[in-house]
Amino acid sequence: MLAKNGRTGARGAEDVRAVAARDTDAVPAPDDAALLKMLYYMKLTRSLEFRIEKRLYRQGKIVGGVYVGRGQEAISVGAAMHIRRGGGETFDDIVSPSHRDMAVFLMQGVPPERILAQYMGRATGLTRGKDGNMHMGDLRHRLVAFISHLGDSIPVAAGCALTFRQHGTDQVSFCFFGEGATSRGDWHEGVNFAAVQRLPVVFVCNNNQYAYSTHVTRQMRVKCVSDRASGYGIPGESTDGNDVFAVYAAVGRAAARARRGEGPSLLEFVTFRMTGHSAHDDAGYVPKAQFEEWERKDPIPRFQEALLRRRLVDGAALREMESRIEAELDEAVAWAEKQPFPDPQECLSDVYHDG
Amino acid sequence: MSAVHKGQRRAPAKRRPAAGAQPPPLEPLRNPGLTREQLLVMHRRLRQNRMLEEKLSALYRQGKIVGGLYSSLGQEAISVGSAYALAPGDLLAPMIRNIGSLLVRGVPPLSLFLQFLARRDAPTGGKDGTLHFDDLGRSIIGPISVLGTLIPVMTGAALAARNRGEDRVALTYIGEGGTSTGDFHEGLNLAAVLNLPLVLVVENNGYAYSTPAHRQFAVASLAARGPAYGVASESVDGTDVLAVYGATRRAAERGRSGGGPTLLECRAFRRRGHAEHDDMWYVPKEIVAAWEKRDPIDRFETFLVDEGHATRKDLRSVEAALADELEEAAQAALASPYPAPEETLKDVYAGNE
Repeated sequence: MLAKNGRTGARGAEDVRAVAARDTDAVPAPDDAALLKMLYYMKLTRSLEFRIEKRLYRQGKIVGGVYVGRGQEAISVGAAMHIRRGGGETFDDIVSPSHRDMAVFLMQGVPPERILAQYMGRATGLTRGKDGNMHMGDLRHRLVAFISHLGDSIPVAAGCALTFRQHGTDQVSFCFFGEGATSRGDWHEGVNFAAVQRLPVVFVCNNNQYAYSTHVTRQMRVKCVSDRASGYGIPGESTDGNDVFAVYAAVGRAAARARRGEGPSLLEFVTFRMTGHSAHDDAGYVPKAQFEEWERKDPIPRFQEALLRRRLVDGAALREMESRIEAELDEAVAWAEKQPFPDPQECLSDVYHDG
Repeated sequence: MSAVHKGQRRAPAKRRPAAGAQPPPLEPLRNPGLTREQLLVMHRRLRQNRMLEEKLSALYRQGKIVGGLYSSLGQEAISVGSAYALAPGDLLAPMIRNIGSLLVRGVPPLSLFLQFLARRDAPTGGKDGTLHFDDLGRSIIGPISVLGTLIPVMTGAALAARNRGEDRVALTYIGEGGTSTGDFHEGLNLAAVLNLPLVLVVENNGYAYSTPAHRQFAVASLAARGPAYGVASESVDGTDVLAVYGATRRAAERGRSGGGPTLLECRAFRRRGHAEHDDMWYVPKEIVAAWEKRDPIDRFETFLVDEGHATRKDLRSVEAALADELEEAAQAALASPYPAPEETLKDVYAGNE
């Protein structure tokens, strides 16, 4: 029995309020090239995940589970725009994505074909066939491998930020997780440590309202994940996660605070998991009306319409972008399918660090 | 990598000044409606708590105490005020600095001496030398040494009571250091979501072993954590036994009437080391001196005398009577046997009688 505690059940993006956004730093609006880049990565992510979840998985070509971020692409893309890279070890930021942040991998430079090879368990996947889904990372791309135990990546991200501070650089550690992870002890320990040490971390929460089958109202008694920020003495902000402009601005503010040495921020982006927990889950426990409601708030059509209104793109340009993406992915799938499975001899390689 | 691409180097972050473990502003004690008899019971428990620990400290120095000894000097009002505010059936889980809570619940000093001296007739039969025991007949759930871990246990106890239709509040304690543990978070969050009658008393005593509070959390008061869980919270002067009593009473009533958990911060100071072996050289002497002037028992005795509930002479005779009782209990415990070696494995696993 869930006792009444004065809440009003599921909430839409409309009534999300900005909580305690402490500074009014205006983040420069993204320029045209940045807008087109965001649209490209949102669409590329959507298509790549569609192929993995709806085609390759059903064809039996995917080795492990499939966890997609359909409907949440604006969060990964809007946030990853602020991850600084291209300058080496004392310049590049670091990022710990969650299992629903495919776009972060792509934007950090992991090509789609290597992600496909990963899902198919091939020797050229990021884990060389040792894992069949999102438990991958690559420090050359400044990606900390996703840890399956939700919440465990938070202290790791705080630790990365501690090294930045010890080295005296202005690098930032970006850390992604869902609202379910915020109930975990590791999450609390990591956020508290980052707050006490004033570490340069941007905590990005995708509140997609379901942790597997647990609704957010059974996960926390507060209305917003960002309400938790006050308990740590750090700024918290809650934003519409299906509005890529809003995501871009909120993460930009938090990254600037972190870079200035003003410590971590907790950002909540309200969105919806437009699929089951994973490809095997039909999400029968989610009311159909909720899917329909959030389908209408799909971040990609919303963003496209905004760009059409600005006349940055027209119908022909969108179609051109889409066919370019499909061609890229056709090629990537073909490449991945031709990749060898790992040699059985390699079972134990890379399992332990060999010094 | 060319130099222009190098990230900016930043001056190291300035260390913030210590949050200052200074006592909160001094407010006069106010009677929340207790009778003279009740006030005198609380006084007796406070004094008993302190004198019992003084006696244990003496035994420790004589090499007679087997385990560690964790003093609650200066924090007695938290244990006594909070435990006294509960109803007899409420579930109480003390931590290692809550010997006063056990005394309020009626645990006899003899049991406590036996326990610290690891004798056969002690609550754990000589298997543990500190407060790690429970007494379900008195609705006492035993402390878990790993700090924070008792909180989800008490959340579970509150849930069990509610599922059985019992009207029981669950109260436990944690230090400010324990609030940084994951178990604190998971236990309080679940109690909040399930709207359970949990009273979580945070004894902010300034230091978690040698870690000062300002290196433990970045909020001015731990009551700020309440809204982060969607629960009621309050911060009181932990050297004011009546304030602790009143706040616990409100929290328990809130839980009983379906208002969910309460996070109650009580501010006091650990005036001795983490344990008896620790000389706490790391604590600035002026902080200890400031808190010595805020002694909870002195404050309460002054209140009792000023309000005409007792004379100084009455209070000294209480002390004298307690001294005799404690001496007698200590001697009885010292004369009692150690457990037989054959009993080593008894009670270690359930059913292994």
